Amino acid sequence: MPTVSVTVAKDVTEKIKAPRALFVPWPMGHHFGVPFHTAIQRRVVMEALQLVQTVEISGTIVPLPIKWADVRREAKFLTEQGKRL
Amino acid sequence: MTEAVKSLRQNPLPQDPRESGQQLRPGLWETINQRYPGSMVTKADYVPLARLAKPLNQARVTLISSCGVHAKADPPMDVCHPFGDFTFRRVPSAAKHADLIIHQLKYPHDDADEDINVIFPIERLQELAAEGAIGGLTKNFFSFIGYNMDPERFERTVAADIARAVSEEEHADVALLAPA
Repeated sequence: MPTVSVTVAKDVTEKIKAPRALFVPWPMGHHFGVPFHTAIQRRVVMEALQLVQTVEISGTIVPLPIKWADVRREAKFLTEQGKRL
Repeated sequence: MTEAVKSLRQNPLPQDPRESGQQLRPGLWETINQRYPGSMVTKADYVPLARLAKPLNQARVTLISSCGVHAKADPPMDVCHPFGDFTFRRVPSAAKHADLIIHQLKYPHDDADEDINVIFPIERLQELAAEGAIGGLTKNFFSFIGYNMDPERFERTVAADIARAVSEEEHADVALLAPA
């Protein structure tokens, strides 16, 4: 069965030779983004699932070049809204 | 052109190792396996790729996570055992954030407690399935505790059981693995 993983630890993923992986340079526990930021969560999920079709060589790790600072800045307002809701 | 810009062009800033994914302390994983022999997963060769026979918008997706999430009605997993908890839980794929809870000490789940989709994107997958971007979801998702000191036993018990459940009971076409 085809699988794809979303990882924040690129060196560990390289060591265990996962067949397809999407690397996000974000802290542990935040693999898919920040709370209530649905756009970035959906984007990470869809990019990972699309890797199932596009990766040709086993052991490929594809980076997602979104900076954590940008994610936090975008979501700061959303988090406060979420808390109030 | 200012001096600062000229010098930045000649000596570009080094890339942040957190973003490039390089180890901050090289050689760390080797020392862990020396001190706790058998605790690190090692693989000699690459796994042959399995292909997805149908387009993504017709494929049934399952989510397997090591975040330790479970429905509030289910008993929690053992997070304090030094060898790890070798069980897994089935999370109904129709569950919402309010039905789920994480008991885990090994990674920060403060933001996951506010919005479970940060580590277990169950509601995002529900939305994507409703919109038709993916074919559908399996009835249950799978979650286990990622910490264990015996990967061989883990592979024999939990991984084999989840693999069997995913293919035989849930009939998934593709699995999204979300380690925590």
